[in-house]
Amino acid sequence: MRTAAVDWRLVAPLGIVYLALFAAPLLLLLGISLHSDQDLQQWGLDNWVKFWSDAFYRGVVWDTLRLGLAAVLATSLFAWPLAVFFCASSARTQKILLFIILLPLLTSVVIRTFAWIVILAREGLINQAVLALGLSATPLRLLQTETGLILALMQIEMPLMLLPLISVMRGLDPNLLDASRALGAGHWRSFFRVILPLSLPGWIAGATLVFASACTAFISQSVIGGARLVYLPSLIWQQAMVVYDWPFAAVCSVTLLFTVLAGVMMLNWLGRYARTD
Amino acid sequence: MASRRLFLAGMAGALAAPSVARASGSMTAAIYPGTWDEAYREIVAPLLRQRHNVGVSFDPLFAVDQVAKVRAARGVSPFDCFVLDPGPAAAARQAGLFEPIDRRLISNAAKLPDGMLTADAATVNVQVVGICYNPKKFPEPPKSWTDLFRSPYVERLGLTGFQTTFGTVSLIEMAKAFGGSVDNIEPIFAKLREALPKVAAVATPAALPGLFQQGQIDIMYTNTNNAATLKARGVDIAFIAPTEGAITFATTLHIVKGAENKANAHRYIDVALSAEAQSKLQLSPYNMIPVNKDVQLTPNLDIKSLDELSKMVTHDWSVINPRRAAWIDRFNREITK
Repeated sequence: MRTAAVDWRLVAPLGIVYLALFAAPLLLLLGISLHSDQDLQQWGLDNWVKFWSDAFYRGVVWDTLRLGLAAVLATSLFAWPLAVFFCASSARTQKILLFIILLPLLTSVVIRTFAWIVILAREGLINQAVLALGLSATPLRLLQTETGLILALMQIEMPLMLLPLISVMRGLDPNLLDASRALGAGHWRSFFRVILPLSLPGWIAGATLVFASACTAFISQSVIGGARLVYLPSLIWQQAMVVYDWPFAAVCSVTLLFTVLAGVMMLNWLGRYARTD
Repeated sequence: MASRRLFLAGMAGALAAPSVARASGSMTAAIYPGTWDEAYREIVAPLLRQRHNVGVSFDPLFAVDQVAKVRAARGVSPFDCFVLDPGPAAAARQAGLFEPIDRRLISNAAKLPDGMLTADAATVNVQVVGICYNPKKFPEPPKSWTDLFRSPYVERLGLTGFQTTFGTVSLIEMAKAFGGSVDNIEPIFAKLREALPKVAAVATPAALPGLFQQGQIDIMYTNTNNAATLKARGVDIAFIAPTEGAITFATTLHIVKGAENKANAHRYIDVALSAEAQSKLQLSPYNMIPVNKDVQLTPNLDIKSLDELSKMVTHDWSVINPRRAAWIDRFNREITK
């Protein structure tokens, strides 16, 4: 009884801050979404119906989630080999690698995004190389495509995947790998049967961060993806800032919040499943 | 010539100063974040302090946020002055958020072209919208709105939708050029559908200058401010008024209904309109087309005299506003892959 009271008081400061700065605005947002007119006079579910009964908006939700998944897959594909390499490197190489891994976090999002325009543009780095090598007669279309966007997100979100993965993999007992080899497993088998399952908690943490961050990467989505790829964040901005339809923007926001949250919970559930296996 | 004008304007300001220096106080003005915020802090605020001993604090807000904030405050004005583009200005006027402007308190009123100071709005800067192209790639520039949708121009065109004021008015003029009107926007959507597989980019407005700089696009419709900014960075860019006529629209200052510091708000507007402020605001990196007839225009603005403005195309935003949401929605649906 007494300990419970002490616990409650310890949590109170942060709890109150969360309640005031996080829960209250969210409730406000939910309240705005439950209005049917732009002046917030009439209560109603009209905007929720408008959003979910329209195949176009459902498509936007699906595209947003798919982008998050694609970013997770792309980062995973490169993060695991890099993490293995990192753990096998000398302390000195690790320091250099860590700096390179952290680099995207150290530059501002606007600069990172514009750097990708320079790389992907019609007269950009990749196209100059492709044309010079004679791989294609005309410049490739990379900017303003989903492929280009996923490529850019992969680099931008990479630290979020790598850091948790590396921290978990560094904690693995090196003897396990030796044991696996001694028992006759090759490199690939050791990776898939030993390293991969044991590093899964790190991957799940990384995947959660990458997924949530890629789904909501407003600047990268709008600048690299262009106006032909509509994702929820740009739809929210457009409805709130240009069309001035706040209830509809609130519907989009709450939808983004809960669909991303659902994805995150799914990953967590996967984590529990992986551990009990 | 320009420097002498500047000097004379400065002298006039200095001479006028002692008589009004008693009017000390403060006020708050909403301002667009970014260039406008920098420009007004740098140029208008010191002049207001110097001439009237009034300190102005700025509240950086986009137009819709300004309108939303005043609406939400319900009568207790959160700032004294709006700065608005025509769309939000029409909406705010409809919602009754403006206080009348007393012409007698604006000493620069006579220096403005007709219609720039109305009962509740003071035009402080105009934007001119037309076609920008890369003169190195196109020695023969596109001459009309319809040219943009022809080869070889359409393949290098950067499209943008109805999200910005300049995008909206450009698309309306294109619709007109193809036989449509504000009430019949269909012709431009038909052309957009046709052009989509060919165009160099369909971009968010903020991304256009970057795409132009990187050579992803070589033609875009935009305002002279963007052209001047890119030119100052050494980008090959030229501005041309389409044969149908360049478009102009005003950025206006307004006094908020029930403003606390009405007198100082008038002084702020007057200072922003003064030749001294306007002649500085037109320079790079601000590139704002001035409205004061005493200001000698700099060549980077792509307009030779303020008389040109009266011949340009203008729009009634109280007509556009109710239609715009549907256009934006339609653009989303038809342009999305």
